[in-house]
Amino acid sequence: MWRMIPAEEGPEAASERQAQLLRGCLDMCLLALLADEPAHGYELVRRLDTAGFGTVSYGTVYPLITRLHRLGLVANALQPSPNGPPRKVYRLTETGHERLRSWSEQWVHFAGVVNATIAVRPPKPGADHEHADAGR
Amino acid sequence: MSTPTPVVDHLLATADREWRALGINRSDRTTLSADLRAELEAAAADGFDPAQLVGADPAGFALRVAEEAGVGRTPPRYGQVLGAATAGALLAMVVGFLVVIGLHQILVALFDLPRGLHVPIWLAAAVFYGGVAAAAVTGAVLTVRIGLRDAPRIRHTAARMALLLPPAVAASIAAAVALGWSFDFPLTPVIMAAEAAIVLGGFLAATTLARRWSVRTAA
Repeated sequence: MWRMIPAEEGPEAASERQAQLLRGCLDMCLLALLADEPAHGYELVRRLDTAGFGTVSYGTVYPLITRLHRLGLVANALQPSPNGPPRKVYRLTETGHERLRSWSEQWVHFAGVVNATIAVRPPKPGADHEHADAGR
Repeated sequence: MSTPTPVVDHLLATADREWRALGINRSDRTTLSADLRAELEAAAADGFDPAQLVGADPAGFALRVAEEAGVGRTPPRYGQVLGAATAGALLAMVVGFLVVIGLHQILVALFDLPRGLHVPIWLAAAVFYGGVAAAAVTGAVLTVRIGLRDAPRIRHTAARMALLLPPAVAASIAAAVALGWSFDFPLTPVIMAAEAAIVLGGFLAATTLARRWSVRTAA
């Protein structure tokens, strides 16, 4: 016999949910941010924050960049820095641009389906199934 | 903020330990390490704290980097290798002991040594213990090779065991004999346990080294 758990959400639960949602699309977002302008790893962290994702750690971003690099979607180049050693700057490759277009289309379609599914609709008359759980 | 270079060195040392433990070969480790160093040193020069960037769990960070980089890794499975080698060696040692005793009985029954021929006791002991040790080494190598045949690089490990175990076991037995000799070969439990521990230690060290050799040279 199971019991329904009230859907109470604190900040931690909301943050975990946000992390789950981000996990599936962070690589695409990194490609998009790099498509605007090449950047180094820790600059991408700042751009993600500015874009509204909140604080995404460098410990999450750097491994992902490593994967994108392995897949040939980003390339890197050393850029002279006035502050110290040259900085490694990442930019999208041609394959990266193509992949970003493809992923973006897929995402728009997917988000449309999700939005349509979760759109708030007035409940249908007689569709209240609470009585079905009353005896549990 | 702490001084960048020692912090970066410390983080890279932690990452390298993790990558070694994962069985990532030297070439890939060098590449990962150089990339990460360039990132962290540049970040430090731009005013970021490398330790804060990597986070509280540098080993976990190193693991994620290795996974995402798709670098080849060979799981060392030291426990399995040592367990199989020890079990195989013990079984083969018992069998070898019985075979050597049996052969001795057969040879004694079949042949009579000339009266003038004197066989030194050390030669007899060397043949006896050498035969048993050879059986134990063969048993260890075959058990690892056959029993763990699905483990990566296990053929290479077995080959290196065949190379390293004979001298290691010989040296360990010599050390154990030297220990016994220095106490006039007493049959006390402490001395006998110490002798057995010396031989077992040499055996386990050589087996570990063989596996480590295989994992580290994995392409």
